[in-house]
Amino acid sequence: MTSEKAHIGQSYRRESALRHLSGRGQFVTDLALPRMLHAAFVRSPMARGKIVELGVDDAAGSPGVVRVFTAETLNGKCEPWIGTLDHFANMQSSTQNMLADGEVLWVGHPVVMIVAHSRAEAEDACELVMMDIEDDMAVVDGNAALMADSPLASSGISSNMCFQTVLETPDLESAFAQAAHVVEGNFNFGRHTAVTLEPRAIIADFDRSTGQLNVHHGTQTPYQFQDVYARHFGLSEGKVRVIAPDVGGSFGMKLHVYNEEMATVAASLTIGRPVRFVADRLESFVSDIHARDHRVSARMALDADGTIVAMDVDDMTQIGAFSTYPRTSVAEGNQVIRLMGAPYRMPDYRGRLSVVFQNKVQTSQYRAVGHPIACAVTEALVEYAAEKLELDPFEIRQRNLIADDAYPHTSATGYQFEKLSHQASLEKLRALMRYDTLRDEQATLRKQGVYRGIGIATFVEITNPGATFYGVGGARISAQDGAVVRLTPAGDVHCAISVTEQGQGTETIIAQVVADQLGVTPDKVKVVTGDTDTTPSGGATWACRGAGIGGETALRAGRKLQAQILTLAGEILQADPTHLKLANGAVVDATTGNERITLAEIGRIATYRPDTLPNGCDNSLTAAQHFAPSGYPFDFTNGVQASYVEVDIETGITRLLKHWVVEDCGRIINPLLVDEQIRGGVVQGLGPAFFEECLYDDIGQMTNATLAEYLVPMAGEMPDIEIAHIETPTLDTILGAKGVGEAGTAAAGAAAMNAVNDALRPLGARISQTPMTPLRILKALGHV
Amino acid sequence: MELEGSQNLVATPDAVWVALFDRDILEQAIPGCESLTQNSETSFSAVVKLKIGPVSARFKGDVELSDIVPGHSCTLSGKGSGGIAGFAKGAARVTLTPEGGITVLDYKADVAVGGKLAALGNRLIKSTAQKLTSEFFTNFKTALTGETEEPAA
Repeated sequence: MTSEKAHIGQSYRRESALRHLSGRGQFVTDLALPRMLHAAFVRSPMARGKIVELGVDDAAGSPGVVRVFTAETLNGKCEPWIGTLDHFANMQSSTQNMLADGEVLWVGHPVVMIVAHSRAEAEDACELVMMDIEDDMAVVDGNAALMADSPLASSGISSNMCFQTVLETPDLESAFAQAAHVVEGNFNFGRHTAVTLEPRAIIADFDRSTGQLNVHHGTQTPYQFQDVYARHFGLSEGKVRVIAPDVGGSFGMKLHVYNEEMATVAASLTIGRPVRFVADRLESFVSDIHARDHRVSARMALDADGTIVAMDVDDMTQIGAFSTYPRTSVAEGNQVIRLMGAPYRMPDYRGRLSVVFQNKVQTSQYRAVGHPIACAVTEALVEYAAEKLELDPFEIRQRNLIADDAYPHTSATGYQFEKLSHQASLEKLRALMRYDTLRDEQATLRKQGVYRGIGIATFVEITNPGATFYGVGGARISAQDGAVVRLTPAGDVHCAISVTEQGQGTETIIAQVVADQLGVTPDKVKVVTGDTDTTPSGGATWACRGAGIGGETALRAGRKLQAQILTLAGEILQADPTHLKLANGAVVDATTGNERITLAEIGRIATYRPDTLPNGCDNSLTAAQHFAPSGYPFDFTNGVQASYVEVDIETGITRLLKHWVVEDCGRIINPLLVDEQIRGGVVQGLGPAFFEECLYDDIGQMTNATLAEYLVPMAGEMPDIEIAHIETPTLDTILGAKGVGEAGTAAAGAAAMNAVNDALRPLGARISQTPMTPLRILKALGHV
Repeated sequence: MELEGSQNLVATPDAVWVALFDRDILEQAIPGCESLTQNSETSFSAVVKLKIGPVSARFKGDVELSDIVPGHSCTLSGKGSGGIAGFAKGAARVTLTPEGGITVLDYKADVAVGGKLAALGNRLIKSTAQKLTSEFFTNFKTALTGETEEPAA
């Protein structure tokens, strides 16, 4: 029996927001442990080179220094790691360890670790390290890296090709041969990075007397790191506790294994004292994973009436010197080639992927992995086709979108869609943005020399992955989650769950879901996350799993406890439990709704007077439940975005006037938080579309590794973002939520690029590179 | 990063030429120079302390003079390591041309920086390089003409 859905579907503010605004946040950086030491790293100033000499004696004698580590003295403590997975056939990557051993492979590669009484003393000692590195030719460009005469990006690989794959339907060639129209383009997507408000932070605290390692770690995946630390440092899992307190944004960046975190753990294990490392902004830029960096050439075949018949895509992505561990750096490219053309009926497809090593910071999974690339390429080609066939952008999409009544559907790339709502979303967008009025306004202004553009982009987003994502490749990354829900002696509810909170409101929606199962208000549900000692094990928060998998886990745990409470209430009341239900903090009569006994009274009796219960009656008021997605291998959400821009054709500067999103994330648990997820996601999509790029020179030096030079989107530049929803719950779960964290990022850049090109169209110019900086727009216009 | 410029020096090309190879004059002219050792006719080792944006570092490096056309032109190439601040390396072609009573010194340099220095961004590095170059020539002029109204920088 479903209980009343009073709280699922309602807007509640984020539980932690008030605490953060009151200055009561508890981030890793806020934590000070007794006898804590601080770490700083000496990093390679060169992209590729041999370490000829390393002199650390002066540093070791510097005031406040407790220990200086090099590869020779630290790396032996850690089992090396390799960022490959079995389901990516024939992929390769060199073995990695904490400190550079013999060779340095990117600017920022940690070479020496200094542990001192303060970070300032550690940094001072860094300056005394004598490091002589002999410069080698760095691999900087991905295309050059694949030439026969290119040097290798590291010594442990046989070529600079990390991974290659091809997907192809049998009729691809004939589809192109018979096509009435073919449109094509070459696209360049710049490298960017997460720039979280709180940088990476860790305190490792090893207690020699008990053999217990506690790690306070600003991560989104504490259980994954518990496993990593246990295995790589030879500890039993039970002796490793990972605690992720408040985390100031993660976006995928904080689930990868980094040299510095591993070194911090190794240092604590060696010294037997707490050791802290917090990245400063300069070192974040040269050690946090970067994202994207794709070059795509693509063509699309259409028949005479504008029906898309095939796409042919070649993606070359540049990932740095290593594939990251444990999720690899090929997952993004793999998703790029599989998401191409996803919203459309398109029967034939070929996607080629080359993942290439180079001597730069590693790239890996970041919010909306692969989606912005696949979406921008597909939607740009659709736009080119519309232009060629003189079709309105809405019209060409209406002709090609998978019909809302045509599900289940399998895409040309093999994805199985349970049920999406492209047509309804497109129709809703048209009304939401007042498309026809906007086109009139655009035409009027154009006569006055004002160049405005309208761009739209439909998208499909992968969420809630099962074990096929990483588990089948041998990664110890959980696709399931767990929750323990209990009724306290006073009748409150406590829920410990494995999904985690980084500011998106996971804890708030979990409280709403549990509250509905137990007939209480969300403020009665205390949710605990992010501690491997106090919550059950699970995959935690990535790939939009929080609502879909975490929410379902909480729901099932809540229902299990509901059944236990009703059974116990039945014993106490001498009533049939099927005639009872939970509402308003009490057990009530299922038919009349009249209160029979409060939850507080049940808690009291079960806890303090179990002697009054009938013989053999189970007084347990705790329920544990794990949930792994079954059925479809992933969920998919869908939606469509639109962007309205004005391009100043004299300066190349684009003003973002307005942005619209129609999104279908299945069941909406909290409309406020869903919309904020979408808005944040849109901004993170517009950032790299116009501003954000990690720039490198031709010797592999990153040349804008400060916030003075690397531009992040600011509120002042961002447009108003208007949002509407279609709700198509998944039938794979009771809850029906599909997830929403990455939808905004998936298509914002694609819509913006189409909008800029719509503005430039009367001038015969076109841009296909991000970020769309003023200079690049002026180049497209032929002004420079 | 390319830097080029021109300086008018009130001296004969020969006097300028000699000064360019004079350890004592160079030591006075190089901004932040803590020590300068002449290893041979054409090579020097230097320790220079500089502050560039938020990064301050002591650079140890070698400078080599080559392609020498006496009294007229030469190439200075060098490499300096600033520890955790990064490194700088490059070469500059210096040409002296007599013009009336003065000597025009033209220089054209190609400089690469790495590590934290590069990360700070081209704008800051280039403006700092220009500032250091101009300080160098101000000091050089002072040392060359023996004027001492400006104490050594």
